Amino acid sequence: MSHTDPEILALRALGETAGTARDAQHAEGCAQCRSELARLTEVVQLARREGSDERLETPPARAWDGIAAAVGGNPASAAAVAATIPTGNGASAPAPRQGRKHRGPRRSRPRGRLTTALAGLAAGLIIGIGGTAGVVQLTKAPAIRVVAQIELRPLPQFAQFQDTTGTALMRAAAAQQLMTVTLHAPRRPGFYEVWLLARDGVSMISLGDLNAAQTGTFIIPPGTDLRNYSRIDVSLQPFNGSTQHSKTSVVRGLLPTAALAG
Amino acid sequence: MSHSSDEDVAAALGGGQPDALALVYQRFGALVYSIALRSLGARSDAEDVTQQVFVSAWRSRDSFDRRRGTLGGWLVTITRNKVADALRERQREGRVLLQAAGGTAVTAPEAPPDQVIDRIVLADELAQLPESQRLVVVLAFYSDLTHEQIARMLGLPLGTVKSHIRRGLQRLRSRLEADGVTH
Repeated sequence: MSHTDPEILALRALGETAGTARDAQHAEGCAQCRSELARLTEVVQLARREGSDERLETPPARAWDGIAAAVGGNPASAAAVAATIPTGNGASAPAPRQGRKHRGPRRSRPRGRLTTALAGLAAGLIIGIGGTAGVVQLTKAPAIRVVAQIELRPLPQFAQFQDTTGTALMRAAAAQQLMTVTLHAPRRPGFYEVWLLARDGVSMISLGDLNAAQTGTFIIPPGTDLRNYSRIDVSLQPFNGSTQHSKTSVVRGLLPTAALAG
Repeated sequence: MSHSSDEDVAAALGGGQPDALALVYQRFGALVYSIALRSLGARSDAEDVTQQVFVSAWRSRDSFDRRRGTLGGWLVTITRNKVADALRERQREGRVLLQAAGGTAVTAPEAPPDQVIDRIVLADELAQLPESQRLVVVLAFYSDLTHEQIARMLGLPLGTVKSHIRRGLQRLRSRLEADGVTH
């Protein structure tokens, strides 16, 4: 008999009732499938364990200097070595950019697709989206908790945006932080892009683009120092291939200090 | 810059290449520091331990055997040892202070439970998942959404979401088995 589909085992590890009764029966009787299910279930339980948020932090830059000095100038010289939290995008994150620095041609970023329609989360409707009758919620996961809800307001120097408002909802789930931004603005030529601006007013991190419904949910790059990158900015970007901030800020908001602790 | 795979980094260290330690530090500095910080609480202590771990890793790089384990797992072991040293040192200092003050009781230093370390390893691997996979896995872990609801919300095909969940979970599992401490 063939083994249970690994995708079904993964879903069952998450607590979903996936697969047929035959799948369930097989998974119980088969040592190999049972052991695979147990392996995956342990991961899920570890991730969902309540209590403390084990998060990744980068050591201060000076930590490397001490290491380089101690090993006697053998490895790369002190400058330009920093521990980073790698991301799956093949680049180091966070990747703050200088406002004036050219960032290369805008490619269709994979995250663009993911920013679609997370409005349900924005409204806090975590449970029961759509008419999913028959789907039993077996998952007892610690809900993603709301860290802060921030009003986004127009800047006085942009008269054309004075009627525009927005909200940013920051949520945390274990070591991950999510930012959902919703804009209440008319469609305009171009597209809206969400940024985190640093205190120096120059460095910035692009979180991604808003979708046609003018909302988007983004993962804040792990390790981002939100005490520094504390300003949320939504820009109106022309379709000109530039990946730089257009310097046209539609709305802005400041992360409250409560969101920055931790 | 595209980041090197863990195997590449391990090979560079094994070969004693001059910039190998920098690569190792870039890849694993956050992991080591985070474990130390969570174990010791104080940032300055965590920084000290982080430095000790990488200096020690460089000096004993010949003892690292890629056939017997991963570089990440090796570094986690060194980190735990250095954390234990730091806690013993704290206890010793505490005893000296207490004796000076005429006290006697000294509570034993507490190393963090293994699960804490495993959760940091998990966070480290989660951070490395491709972004779309990571968002799906995070939602599957921490929201009450089923994979069907996640697919609908993200506008992704159901098959893609299921595949992200399976690959994501299996990758996290493999990393935990390689670098974690409870398995």
